[in-house]
Amino acid sequence: MNAIEIKKLKKSFHGKKNQKTVEAVKGISLSVKPGEIFGFLGPNGAGKTTSLRMLTTLLPIDEGKVGIGKYDVKKNPSEVRRHIGYVGQLGGADMEATGRENLMLSGRLYGMSKNNVQEQSEQLIDLLDLRDIIDRLVKTYSGGQRRRLEIALGILHKPDVLFLDEPTTGLDPQNRANLWEHILKLKDAGMTVFLTTHYLDEADELCDRLCIMDKGVIVAEGTPQSLKRKISGDVVSIKPKSEHEDIAHIFSGDKNVLDIRTEGEKTNLYVRNGAIAMPEIFNMLKARDIELESVSLSQPSLDDVFLKQTGRSLRDTGMEASL
Amino acid sequence: MRILLEIWLLFKRKMLETIRQPVWVFMGLTTPLLYIALFSPLLKNLSDSPLSTGGVLDTFVPGVLTLLAFIGGTGAGYGVIGELQTGVIERLRVSPASRFSLLMGTILRDIVAFLVPSTLVLFIAQLFGFKAHIGGLLVMLLLLSLLTAIVSAWSGSLGLILKQASSMAALVAGLELPLTLLSGVLLPISLGPKWLQAIAHINPLYYAVEASRVLGAGTIISPEVFKAFVVIIPLTAITIFWATNVYRRAIS
Repeated sequence: MNAIEIKKLKKSFHGKKNQKTVEAVKGISLSVKPGEIFGFLGPNGAGKTTSLRMLTTLLPIDEGKVGIGKYDVKKNPSEVRRHIGYVGQLGGADMEATGRENLMLSGRLYGMSKNNVQEQSEQLIDLLDLRDIIDRLVKTYSGGQRRRLEIALGILHKPDVLFLDEPTTGLDPQNRANLWEHILKLKDAGMTVFLTTHYLDEADELCDRLCIMDKGVIVAEGTPQSLKRKISGDVVSIKPKSEHEDIAHIFSGDKNVLDIRTEGEKTNLYVRNGAIAMPEIFNMLKARDIELESVSLSQPSLDDVFLKQTGRSLRDTGMEASL
Repeated sequence: MRILLEIWLLFKRKMLETIRQPVWVFMGLTTPLLYIALFSPLLKNLSDSPLSTGGVLDTFVPGVLTLLAFIGGTGAGYGVIGELQTGVIERLRVSPASRFSLLMGTILRDIVAFLVPSTLVLFIAQLFGFKAHIGGLLVMLLLLSLLTAIVSAWSGSLGLILKQASSMAALVAGLELPLTLLSGVLLPISLGPKWLQAIAHINPLYYAVEASRVLGAGTIISPEVFKAFVVIIPLTAITIFWATNVYRRAIS
């Protein structure tokens, strides 16, 4: 049985009078196998969090079906709550209590006995490196420490699936890498993890499989490797000195160039083999007296996948949405 | 029973939080004493024959306690808004804990936070000549605890609906003033003109104040007390039912 089974999930938000209805999630379907780390990658406003909130019983489902293990989210939300862990974007640790008090309350609300909570807490304190801070008030924690406690709160009752909404947003690079390690440890312990992120490197690093979401639909799905392989070959990025050169036009008929995408002043040429294509590209540019500001050769990234599917760069859309 | 355990756990959480905020504990205890120390002397010469300090306290203390019961509940909404912002509410909502327990944890904390300073006020007032009638006072504290529960449930639900401390503050201030002025908390409404007395009758707080004065004087079986319970008990039930629903549906 799949850990998560989603069929044609839909959600719309109705604005006030005269405002039009926003279709946040437009009928997505997917399944997650037990023991997988599965990711939703997409810009802000893509519908990731809305989807996650429906999966975790926080938001009513408009249409479609969601199964967590053998339980249906619509028909049996209380049973689903018992079998999932959830760490929202806000975290949710109680600031005015100590880490240990947070764990005790959470465990007891999930029906665990005091002894059981104590034993399980000890393990999590070691697993998530909380020993030195566990008896301090949470309001004295750093961002990374709080996040680790919140993950401990999410997995204390041994859920079948752990949901993480943007787990590393707001953390510095060192804490992010540290948290990734901890999330990978959870997978080693057999936990199914479902996360959302708008960081490409995070999706690449953590996820066994992922969906790329944009505007409420899934635009691509697969392992990070298979998604990148779809963009076969290499990417040559060219930035001319003069802004007015139409690089795309020069290479549009070239049979060696599989695809061309313009991203600001940069033009990305997708080629089968960069080492062979580069000299030819230089020759063609030289023949037209085009001077270059910069040029780079790289493997395709998840951003290239997103760009190919949506025609926009994830980095740019992320910026737009946050402005 | 599971639900009792949940309520106990959530009550304990809120209680610990309260005790850890020394400012609140301090203000909670001193505010009522300030009312009695600084306001009640003003009442001394109001009637034709100046009242004794004890006589003033007999009418004034029940009013102050009603005010405490009312104000004690209004804070719940700010707590809810803070917990919306830190994600605590969301985390509790994905747990299997019942929504009723989530609500009751806060309500019970507010009741305790009302009862503790009230007991202190009664004790101190008694030293200055307030005539304490144990039976009446117990019934009064029961009635006023229900009042705190109503206000706390309202406040918490409004916090969930409004989600912003600024709009919450405006609404609470906007409701608090007319409700307390029209209840005779500080001065008996019977001193006022007929029209004022008429409007007061649509204010649930008015019935609580009237009953508190009678109960403070030691009379338990009286029309005022009966009327107050007839108003307050159904209002408590309806409010808690509605508030549980708000907790169930709230999108935090």
